[in-house]
Amino acid sequence: MDNALLASGTLLDLAVGVPLAAGLLLLLLGRFLGRASLALAGNLAALPALLQLGFLLTEGRLGAPSPVGGFLLEPVGAVLFGMSAVVGAAALHKALRQLADVRLPHAYLGLILILWGGTLGAFASPLTTKAGVIAAYVLHEVALIPTFVLTLHWGGEGRRAAAMQMAIYLTLGAMVGLAGLVLCDFSPGQVGPSAAGLILLGFGALVSLFPFHSWAAPGYSAAPTPVSMIHAGALKKFGLAVLIAFVVGNLGAWSDLLLWLALGNTVLLGVVCLAQRDLKQLVSWSSVAHMGPIFLGLWVADRTGQADGLHAAVLLMAAHGLSAAALFALAHEVRTKAGTYRIDELGGLAARTPVLAACFIAATMASIGLPGFGNFWGEFGIFLALRDQALWVQVAAASTVVVSAVYMLRAVAAVFHGPLNPELAARRDEGDIGWTDRLGPLALLAASLAIGCLPFLVTRLLRP
Amino acid sequence: MSLPLLSLDAFRQAAPTAADWQSLLPEILVAALGLVALVQALVVPAAARWLIPTVARLGLLGAGWLALTTPTVAGPLFAGLVEQDAFTGTWRSLFILCALLTSLIGSRFFRSRGADEAEFHHVLLVLTAALMLLAQSAHVATFFVALETATVGLYILVGFLRTSRPALEAAVKYLVAGGLSSAFLLMGFVLLQGLAGADPANGADPLAFGSIANALAGNPQSPLGLVGAALVLVGIGFKVGAFPFHGWVPDVYQGAPTPTTALLATASKAAGVVGLLLLVQGPLFPLHERLAGALTLLAAGSLLAGNLGALGSTDAKRALALSGVSHAGFLLATLAAAAKFAGLAGEPGDGSTMLAAMAPAILLAYLLAYILGTFATLGALAATPSEDDARRPLLGLRGLIARDGSLAASLTLGIGSLAGIPPSAGFFAKLLVLFALASVQSWLLLGLAVVSVAISIHYYFSIVREAVSRTEVPGERLVTRWQDRAVPLALGSATVLLGLAILVSWASSGGR
Repeated sequence: MDNALLASGTLLDLAVGVPLAAGLLLLLLGRFLGRASLALAGNLAALPALLQLGFLLTEGRLGAPSPVGGFLLEPVGAVLFGMSAVVGAAALHKALRQLADVRLPHAYLGLILILWGGTLGAFASPLTTKAGVIAAYVLHEVALIPTFVLTLHWGGEGRRAAAMQMAIYLTLGAMVGLAGLVLCDFSPGQVGPSAAGLILLGFGALVSLFPFHSWAAPGYSAAPTPVSMIHAGALKKFGLAVLIAFVVGNLGAWSDLLLWLALGNTVLLGVVCLAQRDLKQLVSWSSVAHMGPIFLGLWVADRTGQADGLHAAVLLMAAHGLSAAALFALAHEVRTKAGTYRIDELGGLAARTPVLAACFIAATMASIGLPGFGNFWGEFGIFLALRDQALWVQVAAASTVVVSAVYMLRAVAAVFHGPLNPELAARRDEGDIGWTDRLGPLALLAASLAIGCLPFLVTRLLRP
Repeated sequence: MSLPLLSLDAFRQAAPTAADWQSLLPEILVAALGLVALVQALVVPAAARWLIPTVARLGLLGAGWLALTTPTVAGPLFAGLVEQDAFTGTWRSLFILCALLTSLIGSRFFRSRGADEAEFHHVLLVLTAALMLLAQSAHVATFFVALETATVGLYILVGFLRTSRPALEAAVKYLVAGGLSSAFLLMGFVLLQGLAGADPANGADPLAFGSIANALAGNPQSPLGLVGAALVLVGIGFKVGAFPFHGWVPDVYQGAPTPTTALLATASKAAGVVGLLLLVQGPLFPLHERLAGALTLLAAGSLLAGNLGALGSTDAKRALALSGVSHAGFLLATLAAAAKFAGLAGEPGDGSTMLAAMAPAILLAYLLAYILGTFATLGALAATPSEDDARRPLLGLRGLIARDGSLAASLTLGIGSLAGIPPSAGFFAKLLVLFALASVQSWLLLGLAVVSVAISIHYYFSIVREAVSRTEVPGERLVTRWQDRAVPLALGSATVLLGLAILVSWASSGGR
C-alpha cells in the first residue's frame, strides 16, 4: 500500500480541515445548493477522515506530524480519532437522510460537519505540547458551539432549557479545567495537587462525572440524533483524553474522591436508568452511567501505576462511542416508525420491523458488554485491573453489568416484544427500515464487533 | 519658584518646535477631519451627503496608517506635556479603529432617525483626537484636558437623538456622573500637585507626571498623596465603569443610541484604561503596592457586580452594558497584576518589563478583542429594527436566525468573543489575563475571573438562545441593507479569524 500520505501527515490535515472548511462553506454558500449537491458535499467531506482511519487500521501505526495544522496522532488520541471517524461518518449519513425534513438544510449539514471536524481535530492534536493542548482545547470548543446551535434550532422537546444547561455546565467545566491547565503551564509534568483537582473536576464535568452529570441526559435527549451521536459517542471522550494525559499519575489526594464519584456514575446513575420511561432518555442516561467504569479504569491506573486499566479504559471509550451512537441512531428509527419515544406507548414492534429489532438488540448487547463486542474487552479489562482492590469496589463496579443488562433488556422487551401495542396497531405500518437507514448502525456495530474480535486493532496503537 | 507659563522667557523656551507638531500629526489629521465634516455640511449639496462619512472614513484610515507607521519620538515633547512610548502608535490606532467602526454602524443609524450626520462625525472625530492625545500625556494638564474634551463629546453623542426621551435621560445621567468623576479626578490631581509643589526638588512644574512621581517616592506615607491618589482612582473608576462606581453604566448604555453605546463601551473604556496605565506607570508608581491592593478590590468587585447584575436582565442592551462592567474588571485585573509585579522590579527578568511592556500589550490585545466583539454585537443590534432603540428586550430577538441569518450569526460570533469562547479572539484575550494573574499568584482574582466567565455564559447565552432558537412561526424576513449586515458579520468573523491566527502562529512556533 502506498503510505506516503501517512508518512507526510498531510492526510491528517485534510481529515480535520476538510470537514471544517466544508462546513463553513456550506454555512456561507450552501443555500444556493440543491439537496443532491449538499449530499455530495457531505459525502466528499467525509473521505479524508475515513481514509485516515483505513491507514490506522491497516498500518497499525500512528504516522507523522501534519505539516499545516501541527496535528499528530498520539496513542490515545489515535484510538479516539478512529472511533470518531466511524461515529461521525454514521452521524453524517443520518444527517444526510434527514435533509429533506429539516429547516435550513444547508446550515444543519454545515454545523454538523463543523461539529465533526472539531471533534476529529481535538483528538488529532497532541496533548504532549503546549500548543497541541491549546489547539485541542480550542477545537473541542469549535465542536461545542455547533452543538448548542444545532440543539436550539433543530432539537426536540425541552431544547431551550437543555441547551442552556449544557452551555453552562460545559463552559464552566471547560473554564475550570482551563484554569487547571494554566496552573500547570499545560505541561503534564508540572501538575500539582490544585491543578490536578481543577482539571479533574473541570474536564470531569465535560464527561458527565457524577455529580456534574445533570446536563447530559436532557441535552442528548433534546439534541437532534446526529448531534447526540457525535457528542455522546465521540466529543465527550475529549475530557477523558485530557484526564488521561494530565491527571492519571498525578491524582494524589484526589484519588478517593474520584473513586466515589466514579461509583456515583456506576451505581447511582444505573439506578436512575432503571427508572426511565422514554427510550431516548434511557439511551442518554445509560451513556452517562457507562462513564463510571471508564473513570474506575483511570482511577485504578493512577493508583497502581500500571497501564492495563488505562488501556482497557481507552478500549471501552472507543467501544462505548460506537455502541452509544448506534443506540441513538436506532432509537431515532424507532421513533420514526412508531412516532414516539415513550416506552409504554411502544410494544411488539419486532413483528413489524424485524431488522430494526435485530439491530437494536445487537446494539444493546454491545452496550451491556457481551463478548464479541468491544465493550466486553473494555469492561472485562477494567474489572481485571481492579482485582487487587477492595472487594466492595469490585462488587460495586461489577454491578454495572447486571444493572445495565436489566434496564436495557427490559426496554428491548417492552419496545419490541410482546403483543403489538394497540395504539401502534392503529397507526399505519411504515414497514421495516430500509437499506440506507441500516447502513449507519450496521457500520457502527461492525466496528464494535471488529474491535471485539480483533482487539489488537486498538491495543497495537496504544503500544506503538 | 516661578510657574513657567507666567514668565515670558520660560514661555519662549517652551514654545513648541516643528518636531513637536510633527509628532502629533495623526491627532492633527483626525481633528482637522472633524472640521472638514463641518465644512462639508455647509458646502456639500444634499445629493452628495454620502461624501461626509466617506471622507471621514478614508481620513481615519489614513490617520491609522500614519499612526502605525510614524516612528514615535523618545523624550519629552511640548515641554513635557506629551511623551510617547513604544505603544503610542497602537493606542492611537485603537482609538481610530473605534471611531471608524462607530462611523460604520452609526452613520446610517443616525441618518435614518433624522439626526445630522455631519455633526455626528464632527463630534466623533474631535473626541477621537482627544483620546489619542490622552494616550501620550505626561502632564496633568494634557491628561485632564484631553479626557474632558473626549467626555464632552460623549455627552453630546449620548443625547444625540434629541427626540428620544431615554436618550436625553441617559445624557443627563451621564453628565451628572461624568461631572462628578471629573470633580474627583481634579481634586485628586490638586492634592497631588500640592504635594509635588511643596517639594523643592521638583523644579518648575509640579503638574508634570515626573514631579508627582518624585514627590510620592519621597513621601510614600504622606496623607496628602494617598488621598490624592485615591481620589484620582475614584475619578478614573467612574470613567471605566468599575465597581463601585458603575451605577450609571446600565441606564446610560441602555438609553444611549446603540452606536454611541458601542463607542462608550469601547473607546471611553479604553481611554480610562490607558489613563490608568499611564498613571500606574508614571506618577502613582511609587504607590504600586497599595495600588495593587486597591486595583484588586476594584477588579474583583467589577467582575462580580457586572456579571451578577447582568444575570437578571431581560434587555439585551442592558445585559451587554453590565457585562461591560465585568470586562472592565478583567482590564483592571491586568493592571492589578502589573502593579503587583512591579514589586519584583530590579530582579532579573521581572516586574519592570511586565509593567512597561507586558501590561500594555495584554490590555491592547484584550481591548482589541473586546472592540471587535462589542461592535459585532451592537452593530447587529443596531441593524435589527426595534420600535424603541433604548429597549431591546430579549424576546424581540426570538427567531432572528430565520428572519436574518447573517445578523443572527454576527450576534452569535460577537457574543461568543465577548464571552471568551474559543477559538474567538476574546478567548485568547482572557487567557492572557489569566496567565498574567497566575504569574503573580493572584489566586483570588484568577478564581473570580473563571467564575465570572461561567456566570456570564448564562446571560450571553440567553441572548444567543433567543436569536438562534427555532420558532414555530418563522417571522417575516427583515429588510436590512447589505451594508448593515456586512459590517457586523465581518467583525464577528474577524474575532474568529484573529483567534485562529493566534492559534496557528502559536502552534507553528512550537508552543512558545
